[in-house]
Amino acid sequence: MTWGLESASVRFGQTTALQDVTVATEPSTVTVVVGGDGAGKSTCLRALVGLVALSAGEARRPPKREIGYVPAVGGLYPDLTVDENLAFSGGAYGRKGAGSYATSSAILERIGLADARSLLGGQLSGGMQRKLALAMALLHEPALLVLDEPTTGIDPVSRFEMWRMISRSAAGGAAVIVSTTYVDEAQRASSVLLLEQGRAIAMGSPFSIIEAIPGKLGVVSSPAQPAGLSWRWGKSWRLWAPSGALPDGVEPLRPGFEDAVVIASMAGQQEVQLDAGTR
Amino acid sequence: MPVLAETRRVTVRYGALTAVDSVDLTVRSREVVGLLGANGAGKTTLIRLLLGLLRPSSGEALLFSTVPSVSARRRVGYVPQTLGLYADMTVEENWTFTLAAFGARLVSVPSSISDLKDQLVGTLPLGAQRRVAFAVAFSHAPELLVLDEPTSGVGPLGRARLWQDIRQSAEHGAGVLVTTHNMEEAEQCDRLVVLVDGRVGADGTVGDLIADREVAEVRSADWQRAFEILDVEGFVIQMHGDVLRVPSTRRQVEDLLERRGVRATVTTVPANLEEAFVMMVSARSHG
Amino acid sequence: MWAMIVKEFRQLRRDRRTLAMMIVLPVLLLVIFGYAARFNISRISTVVVGPQAEQVAAHLHLPFQVVEIDPDAGSSVAALRLRDGKAVVAVVTGSSPIQFLMDGTQLFAVQTAESALGHMVQTAKANGIRVPPIAVRILYNPRLITSWVLVPGLCGLILVFIGTLITSLGVVRERQAGTLEQLAVTPLRPWDVIAGKIAPYLLVAAVDLVVIVGVGIILFHVPFIGSVATFGLGAALFLLVTLGMGILVSTVSQNQGQAIQLAFMVMLPQILLSGLIFPVSSMAVGVRWIAYVLPLTYFIDISRGVMLKDTPIGALWQPLLWLSVLAVVVLGSAILRFRRDLAPSARVGKAPAATAEQVAA
Repeated sequence: MTWGLESASVRFGQTTALQDVTVATEPSTVTVVVGGDGAGKSTCLRALVGLVALSAGEARRPPKREIGYVPAVGGLYPDLTVDENLAFSGGAYGRKGAGSYATSSAILERIGLADARSLLGGQLSGGMQRKLALAMALLHEPALLVLDEPTTGIDPVSRFEMWRMISRSAAGGAAVIVSTTYVDEAQRASSVLLLEQGRAIAMGSPFSIIEAIPGKLGVVSSPAQPAGLSWRWGKSWRLWAPSGALPDGVEPLRPGFEDAVVIASMAGQQEVQLDAGTR
Repeated sequence: MPVLAETRRVTVRYGALTAVDSVDLTVRSREVVGLLGANGAGKTTLIRLLLGLLRPSSGEALLFSTVPSVSARRRVGYVPQTLGLYADMTVEENWTFTLAAFGARLVSVPSSISDLKDQLVGTLPLGAQRRVAFAVAFSHAPELLVLDEPTSGVGPLGRARLWQDIRQSAEHGAGVLVTTHNMEEAEQCDRLVVLVDGRVGADGTVGDLIADREVAEVRSADWQRAFEILDVEGFVIQMHGDVLRVPSTRRQVEDLLERRGVRATVTTVPANLEEAFVMMVSARSHG
Repeated sequence: MWAMIVKEFRQLRRDRRTLAMMIVLPVLLLVIFGYAARFNISRISTVVVGPQAEQVAAHLHLPFQVVEIDPDAGSSVAALRLRDGKAVVAVVTGSSPIQFLMDGTQLFAVQTAESALGHMVQTAKANGIRVPPIAVRILYNPRLITSWVLVPGLCGLILVFIGTLITSLGVVRERQAGTLEQLAVTPLRPWDVIAGKIAPYLLVAAVDLVVIVGVGIILFHVPFIGSVATFGLGAALFLLVTLGMGILVSTVSQNQGQAIQLAFMVMLPQILLSGLIFPVSSMAVGVRWIAYVLPLTYFIDISRGVMLKDTPIGALWQPLLWLSVLAVVVLGSAILRFRRDLAPSARVGKAPAATAEQVAA
């Protein structure tokens, strides 16, 4: 039984935040939802968790007790200590007593917050706060772990440690779904959903997404922007020819995952048709 | 190329805490320098030093070859993480305010954001806000741009567009200092300066940083068990789907898994930037 | 510098909420209070008892408004009418002198009554009418001490403000920290959250009330001659209403600043319109109805009655009933709105909230 969204649409008045989006999660895997700001990533996850009502389609999720959720901002109480935050989360999910204390100690050790136990949530750095929020969601060993932009804006070392926690959770059997704006994180997933303005632009494993990009990718080194669908990379430009024919003098390049994502986003914005496999 | 901003063995101490420790940093005209930090304190402090908002405990910070001053700051375009825009004013109003505040000649809103000029900044999506913030910072033709995490929270396409603007300003002669947490962004810079615990851990291109570091890649049908074993042993594992990457030698990993009865294929592959970064950071903290 | 001025004006022009407060609110308040504030009482409810009740009643005219004539009742019944708040003045005929009993807890009414009585006697004498000997006896607050009358009401007022404000801040803090939404994802039900939020404040507010009343008694020598149980019941209902109002305020506030503004606006009318200073009965009808939806109005009836007059619970059934109704309405609305907060939203939620944080206001 997989959890996820099926042909889900969400409308807020005149705005359509999500349109006909399908995403599935499997135990022991990490699914990543990638997109820019306003793409609908948060709405997608909140619909999955039940914070947002669907205008169409279906959401499948386990009972509340088995869900762990970390919102994009917050998720912890700044005026409670690390210990108290964990205690509240444990209590809310029905884990009480000594067992809970032992588990939270273990978790604190593993995420490196053991020395900060008595610090107030508000006193922690950004990275530590996100780790604490994640720990609170992991305390009750959820079957479905939903994380909304857990690593946006935190330092690389904390980000690395967050992904350790996430990987551990998946390796331990949880179905994990994470939203992010960082494409290199998406590359680590078993399956990726690329959202653009509320619609699914691409879906599948990172490899299949790269393979599904039609046409050819080229590199242009001159400083002027080449005609056509192009974007800046370092000191040069990348040029995508959907038809497969690169202009003269343009060196072809094997697309990496980031290239594939940019191409798919461009295609999505300009409504250029891609292969059936990416829809 | 002229040096626009420079620090020489600069150190900043807050009581017992050393935020910046003997850091050498240079930003020249026409180059994009990325400042990558293991934690926040060092980067923010360095920027504040260069802008003259903070005095060093020792060493020196130079802005346009002089001690940072208000007049020197006029030649700098700074975009903080909070963007420094007024959400309840339109793009055009923000534009004219900044120009007036810097005493620059009033020109019209540039074409890159002219289609947004009558919209309230607070109603724009984040990517557009950042582009506006960038254009506004560039409005008074600064020679040095200091951008604090310019593409945080923005998606791949928006990031590409922002970097287009950044590159263009460098080509027009400006020097750009960018702080970032993002590996992809780091790869867009001409040069990277990595701060670890306030000290410079590395200074060079991405290629220099990765150097010839390698990791062990593990493929196994029983990958969950492999993960568990490696995790318990204290290895830092990066997971890609069901493939595990471990900063260790192939031999070590192979032996360990064999001893625990897990069948796996282990190969040696080059490290990616993030792995190189983490390896460098942990080496530093133990060194 | 000019650029700065221009910018500030532009921002102010768009801040409709502040503009409204600066212009509309003062006008509104002035109008309401203008109609509510009355030092002179135009109607004083009067009861006349004793054998000559009919004759004496015929001579009484405004401001005395005769609401009951009972020739068979005596002074004890008259006193009861005062105690239960049915009348402010009770005239006891049948023995000499004629007694004018007055309820000392109604300061302005008593002062008006005394002066009106004096004036009536003067006029009668000047017209050559023989006036029988009259004695005025002020019950329950014989020396008309202001603090005795104010303190019971003040206790209530303080609790309105603190109760509403503190509860509202408590919930708004959750909203601002982003944890409110997250509660919706946990197995906790809306009722769990509300009850959990009210309980500590209820306890603290109850202790608060005991302390303030204690200080009133000790410092100002305000008597407490009635039933503590009755007072307790009234106080409990009153607290439920004010704390519920706090939750309601919080459901319409996005941040602590707004919650404080709103709590303040809720408290302001209660100072002048709840009968704390100016009697409700003397307010112009157009504004009097406001008093009847304010919980403080009923709490003042109860606290003054119990503390100063030993009014029994039976006579206070009306204010107690209305407090109960208010409690049900307010708490009910609070729970419904709160449920909406915790339930899946189809409103425009802001996502990701990181956007709002990125731009300097």
